[in-house]
Amino acid sequence: MINLKNVTKSYEINKNNKVTALDNINLNIKEGELVVLKGASGSGKSTILSLIAALSKPTSGEVMVDEKQISKLPDNFASIYRRDNIGFIFQKYNLIPTLSVKENILLPLVPLNPDEEDVKEKLDAVMQRFNISHKEDAIVRNLSGGEQQRVAIARANVNNPKIIIADEPTANLDEKLSIHFVEILRELKASNKTIVVATHDPIFFDLDFVDREIKVHNGKIL
Amino acid sequence: MKNKINIYLIEYAINAILRQKYKSFFVTTVFTLLTFLLTSVFFITNSIKHELDATVDALPQIIVQKIKAGRHYDIDADILDNLLEIAGVSDAVARVWGYYYFENAGVNFSVVGVDQFENQYKESFNKIVKKFDFDKLEADSSMVVGVGVKQIMLENYYTKYFNFIKPDGTLKKVTLAGVFDAQTSLESNDMIVMPKEIVREIFDIEEGKVTDIVVKVANPKEITMIASKIKQMYPDTRIVTSEDLKVSYQNIFDYKSGVFLALFIVSLFTFFIIIYDKSSGLSSEEKREIGILKAIGWKIDDVLKEKFYESFIISFFAYIFGVISAFAFVYIFQAPILRNIFVGYSQLKTTFELPFAFDVQTLFLVFFLSVPIYIAATIIPSWKVATLEADEVIR
Repeated sequence: MINLKNVTKSYEINKNNKVTALDNINLNIKEGELVVLKGASGSGKSTILSLIAALSKPTSGEVMVDEKQISKLPDNFASIYRRDNIGFIFQKYNLIPTLSVKENILLPLVPLNPDEEDVKEKLDAVMQRFNISHKEDAIVRNLSGGEQQRVAIARANVNNPKIIIADEPTANLDEKLSIHFVEILRELKASNKTIVVATHDPIFFDLDFVDREIKVHNGKIL
Repeated sequence: MKNKINIYLIEYAINAILRQKYKSFFVTTVFTLLTFLLTSVFFITNSIKHELDATVDALPQIIVQKIKAGRHYDIDADILDNLLEIAGVSDAVARVWGYYYFENAGVNFSVVGVDQFENQYKESFNKIVKKFDFDKLEADSSMVVGVGVKQIMLENYYTKYFNFIKPDGTLKKVTLAGVFDAQTSLESNDMIVMPKEIVREIFDIEEGKVTDIVVKVANPKEITMIASKIKQMYPDTRIVTSEDLKVSYQNIFDYKSGVFLALFIVSLFTFFIIIYDKSSGLSSEEKREIGILKAIGWKIDDVLKEKFYESFIISFFAYIFGVISAFAFVYIFQAPILRNIFVGYSQLKTTFELPFAFDVQTLFLVFFLSVPIYIAATIIPSWKVATLEADEVIR
C-alpha cells in the first residue's frame, strides 16, 4: 500500500550547509499492517512519516500510496490526499488551543461542507470511541495531556482514514496514559487501518499486534 | 443537500475573530474611525458643493459698479435706460444695498433694499415681495430678516426692532416684521431686506443714486460681450460678471476644501500604515494555525476563503458603522468642529445647515478605498504561508 522507492530528503540550512534526513531509503508497508519505526531523535523517522502524509516532498525518489505517486502532488491535491486518506497524530498534537474539543475534531470536515446530520454523526462516533464526549465543549488548552491526546486521535479518525500516522505519540505522556494509547492502537489495528508509528519509546517494542519494527539510523533503514 | 456557501467556514472565521477579540476590536475600531472620518469629509464637501452650486446659480449675470480711485461709489441710476438699450440686454435693475457692521456681535449684515413695483433681480426677492406687504413695511419702517440675523439680534436683546447707526451718528429704528426663507442658507443667513427708501436713509445714499446695477442678458453666451460694451460706454465703472463671481466663490470653496483634503490625506495615510503593518507578516501563532489546517487536509483555497471571510466581516462591519456614524455626524448633528472650517464662508455662523446632498458614489468610493484593500492585506500574508510546505510551517 505504501511504497518509498530510493527516497532521499535533504534540508538546506544555508548555502554551505545541507542536512540529509533520509538517504536513499526503500520501504514497503502493506495494507492493514502496523509498523513501528524505531530510532533515536534525528534518525529520520519523523521525515518518513511526513513524506507518507505528503506534508513534504522528497528531494529525490518516489513515494507511492495505493499505486498513486504522492511525492509529486501539487499542494491542493496533497491536501485532499491527506484529508481523505491520512489521520495524523502529531507529537505535540497540533491542536488549536483556543478552540473547544468539538471544534478541533470538526476541523478536517470543515472544507467538505457536509450536512449537519452527517457532521453530528461523525463527531459523536469518534468522541464516544475515544472517550472524550464529556468534554466536548471544553477549551483544549484547559485539558490534561492525556485528554488532549484523545482529542488528537479523535481528530485524526473523524474522516475515517485508511492510514493512521503517529509521531512520538507517547513523548508527552506518563506510563499509564502511554499504556492507554497502546490499547487505542490495538483497537485501530483491529479495524484494519494501516498504521505507522515513529517512536523511541520501548513500550512499543515487542508488542504482539505490531507486524514489524523497522530500525532507522542516521537517515538509513537498517 | 449541500449548501453552496460553507457555513462551517464562516463559523470558523467568526470564531477566529472572537478568539482574538482584543485585536479584532482594535482593528474594527480604528477602521471604523478612519471610515467615519473619510466619509464625513466626503459628505461635508458634497453638501457644501451643493450649497455652492445653488448659490452660484442665483448670482447676477452682470453687475455694474462705479469706481473712483479704485474705490466703490454709488452710481447714477439714470444710466439704467442706456443699459437697457444695449442689444442682448433683457433687463437692468438698480440695487440699493450695503453691508452694515453690527459691532456688538462683530458681524456684517447684508442690507438689501427692494422696490415691490420693480422687477427683482433674484427669484427669492420675488417671493419675499409676495409674502410681505412692502407698503406696510415702508409705512411702519420695518424689515424682514434671514434666520441668522434673527438669531444674532435675539442674542443681543433685539427682539422687536433694531437700531441702525446712520453715517451722521443718529439712530434709525427699524421694526422686525418677519423672517424669510431663501434658496440657500449660505446666501440668506446674513441678509436683511427692507424698502429701498429705508436703506437709503441708513446708508445715506442720495436720491438718483444707487449702489450698483444688475444687468440680465437674454443669451448667457453674450455676457462677456455685453460686459465689454458697458465698459466701453462707461469707462469709470467696474463690470463684474457671474463668471468672475463664480471663480471667487470657487476659490473660497477650494481653499477651504484644501483643509478637508489634508484631513482626507491624513486618514488615508493612517489607513495605509495599518495595512502595511498587517500585510508585512503573520504572527507565529497565525502561521502555525495555517500549518495545522494544511496538515489536516485544508487546501490553500480553504485557508484563503476563511481569511477572506474573516477580513470581510471585520472590514465590512467597520465600513457600515463608519458610514452610519458619518451620516449621523454630518446630517443629524451638523458636523460640529469640522463644519466650522467652512462656516466662515457665511458671515453668520450659527444657523447655517449642511443640506442633505447624498451621493451614492461616495459610498462606493469609500467602500473600494477601504474594504478590498484590507481584505488584500489580510489574504496576501496568509497566502504566502499557505503556499509553503505544511511540514515546514508546523516545525
